[in-house]
Order: sequence, then C-alpha cells, then structure tokens
Amino acid sequence: MAVRVQVNAEVCMGIGQCEMLEPDVFELDDDGIAHVAEGATVTEERAQELIARCPSGAITIASP
Amino acid sequence: MTDLADPGLYSAGIPHSVFADLRSQPGLHRNEGPVDFWSVTRLADLVEVSRDTATYSSEVGHIQIYDIDEDALDARASMIDLDPPVHTVLRRLVSSAFTPRHVQGYRQAIRDRVIACLDRLEAARGGDWVDLVAAPIPIGVICDLMGVPEADHGYMIELSDHLVAGTSSEPLSPDAYGNTTELRLLPFNSPAAHGISEYARQLGDKRRAQPADDLISELIAAEVDGERLTDEQFANFFRLMIFAGNETTRSAMAHLALHLTQFPAEFDRVRHDGELLAGAAEEVIRYSSPILYFRRTATREVELSGTTIAAGEKVVMWYAAANFDDATFDEPLRFDVGRPKQPANVAFGGGGAHFCLGASLARLELEILIDEILERGLRLELDGEPTYVDSNFVNGIEHLPVRVM
Repeated sequence: MAVRVQVNAEVCMGIGQCEMLEPDVFELDDDGIAHVAEGATVTEERAQELIARCPSGAITIASP
Repeated sequence: MTDLADPGLYSAGIPHSVFADLRSQPGLHRNEGPVDFWSVTRLADLVEVSRDTATYSSEVGHIQIYDIDEDALDARASMIDLDPPVHTVLRRLVSSAFTPRHVQGYRQAIRDRVIACLDRLEAARGGDWVDLVAAPIPIGVICDLMGVPEADHGYMIELSDHLVAGTSSEPLSPDAYGNTTELRLLPFNSPAAHGISEYARQLGDKRRAQPADDLISELIAAEVDGERLTDEQFANFFRLMIFAGNETTRSAMAHLALHLTQFPAEFDRVRHDGELLAGAAEEVIRYSSPILYFRRTATREVELSGTTIAAGEKVVMWYAAANFDDATFDEPLRFDVGRPKQPANVAFGGGGAHFCLGASLARLELEILIDEILERGLRLELDGEPTYVDSNFVNGIEHLPVRVM
C-alpha cells in the first residue's frame, strides 16, 4: 500500500539519510531540513525502513 | 568492584567481558568507584536515552563523567553540549555540508589523500600506521572542508592529540601555546584548547577580510536570530569540528589495520564482492567504537530498564558496550562484513539530536581507504603491539607499527 511520509521540522537534524535512500521523495533545503516532495508516496514497508533509518527520528507516516 | 571511569580499564581496548557482564544484569549499573553515575550498556536502553533530550540533557552538568563548574560549561559550550532548541539552530548552520549527498563531492579529494598516504607507507615498506595513514587522512579531509591551509594540518593534529591527552593524567604545562586562561575553563582542561581557539580567531579574521569557499567563511557569515556568532562561539565550533573530525575517524582507521591483520578472510569477501564495501566500513566502525561513551544528566526522575534514576543523576551511554549487545547483534564478537544494515550500530550515537554530524563523511573516508587497500592488494602484518590512548572516553590507538608484506 502506498503511504505518504512526513518530516517533523522540529526534530529533523538534516542528516540526509532519507535523501540518500529516496532522492525523489526527500530533499534537504537551505534551511537544513528534509522536505517531502508534494504528492510523493512510498510503500508502507519502505516507509517503515525510512522511519527506522532516520537517525533523528523525524519521519512518520502521514494520516491519509 | 567495577569502576568504569578508570582509564586503566581501557588500556588494551574495549573491556568486552566487563561490558558483557553488565549487559546481562537487570537494570542499570551504578558505578563502583569515586564518581557516581548510572551506566547504560544495552543497545535498546541506549537508544531510549539518546533520543529523549528533554529527559536526558547534554546541557545540564557535563557530557563527560566528571562535572565541571557552571562558568566552565558556559566557556566551552558548543552544539555538542547544548540541548534543542539552541543546539538545533547551531547544528543547522553546518549540517548541509555533511549530508550523504553532499559528502560525495569530497570523494576525489579523499581518494587523493588516501593514495598519497598508502604510497608513502608502501615505499617505506611499513612504519607507524597511525602517523602515516590513520592520522593524516581525516585531519586532511576535515581541514580541507573547514579551509585550514595544508601547511597547518600538522599543527592541528598536534593540538587535537593534546586535547585527548588532556583526558589522561599527564597534562601539558598550563601556559603551553601561550595559554593564559584557567585550565578548568578549557575543554578537556587542556591548554591545547586555547591553541585551537587562538588559531581559529586568526583564521576567522583572514576569512572575514577575504571569504573563501569553505566552512569557516560560512560560519563567519552565519547569523543566528539576526546575530553573528561571537568569537567564543566560533572558536568552540571550530575546535569541535577539528577534534570530532579528526580523532574519531583516525581511531577507526587505526583499528582497521588491526582488523585487516586479524580478519583477512572477511576482507577477501569484500575483494570478491564490491557490494560488501559499505558493510565492511560499517563493521570497522562498530568493532572499533571510537567514542566509548557520552554522558547525559537526568532532568527529572525517570525509570529505565527497571532502575529509577533521580533528577540530577548522571547517565552514561557506553556505545562500546551497546555495539556488542547480543540482543541486537548475532555473535557480536565476530567481525562480519555482511551484517544487515538494520539494526544499526550506535558508534555514531543512538539517534536523536546529537547523532554524529560527520557520520556520512567518516563512512565515505573509510570506504575509500578500504577500497584502495584492496585495490592494490596491500597486505599488512603487525610489527609490534598497538599502544592505546590512556582514556576512558576514546578508544584510540596512539601507535601501530606495521610491515607491508
């Protein structure tokens, strides 16, 4: 199932793991925070991996 | 009696049996020695502490085991000893230079340094692996990134070495490097910290007059809430980057030489399957655990793993223990380049605000070094025993004599 992910801007440390794993979904902006491309989705399995691999603990699945 | 603060415990590397014993005991371990603190040795507990900066503060008390005075804390404060939100603002000034995508841009410069160092080692048929390879590569890379001229790299290594030595019992003369500040106000209580600050101030002045494409120029121009960094903030930033970018990667690279001689079959696997390169770098990082611990201080009463921690008590996260937790890693003492990416080791921290800024850079440097070693078929053997840094904080190797076979 495709889900949308979101980044908590207060928590994101701009480490860039997400951008490396999913360059089409995440982009680090000049503010040093990861932003999610509009309309981008990933599989739920991939979302869980992204959540686990974010060292900041900033990624969650957005409620539909 | 287990006094985990005793540097002697680490004089031959990570005390695996001591840590295994502590991991197997319920709750947290209360230190048995002159200084009182709780030790976190299991990976799951460590991650919980690491990610909860509101409960486990870096700003209250000190991030090393021994407390220091309030004015000393203020004098040395950099992002590593601050909590969000101030920490976040400072970190974002530099974070973009260290993302996995951005560090790819340093790949060729790193490879050039690696090649030059290995050429020198091979030409001499061996020597001190630390002096010839493990020390010059990371300091060269971080200095390039910061904008420190090549001619001063040796001076940065010298100062950084003294900082770590400052955690042991043989201090420099208090007035070394022209220091006039009370030692207790200086990071690691070391006059070398004054040397670095003074160097930073001079280099900062040069870049202010003539900006370049480097991190120093960016920091000089950076604004936080409309204000430039103070001289002290800038110097503390510089010192942190030099120390953190130098000492830790150097340590992992020094341990790599040991791993190459101890586990040659694992590196043969990488030689035959380049896909294992990243896994090999990660395993060197886990197995060396260059930073043994960081400390937090509880801001409220909290329960962890069945232990009640009182507000104000010290909580020490032993990365070097958690990285060998058999609840997380299958046969943790086995060096295995094929370990799964998840669960991640905690050599760069357990996640949260203070996760190692330079993680991607360190990984890249190690990958390139391993790749180049395998590429040229370099075989090493030890030409003496490694000498470990006398410290309870870093798992460093001072000297490691090797012969090229």
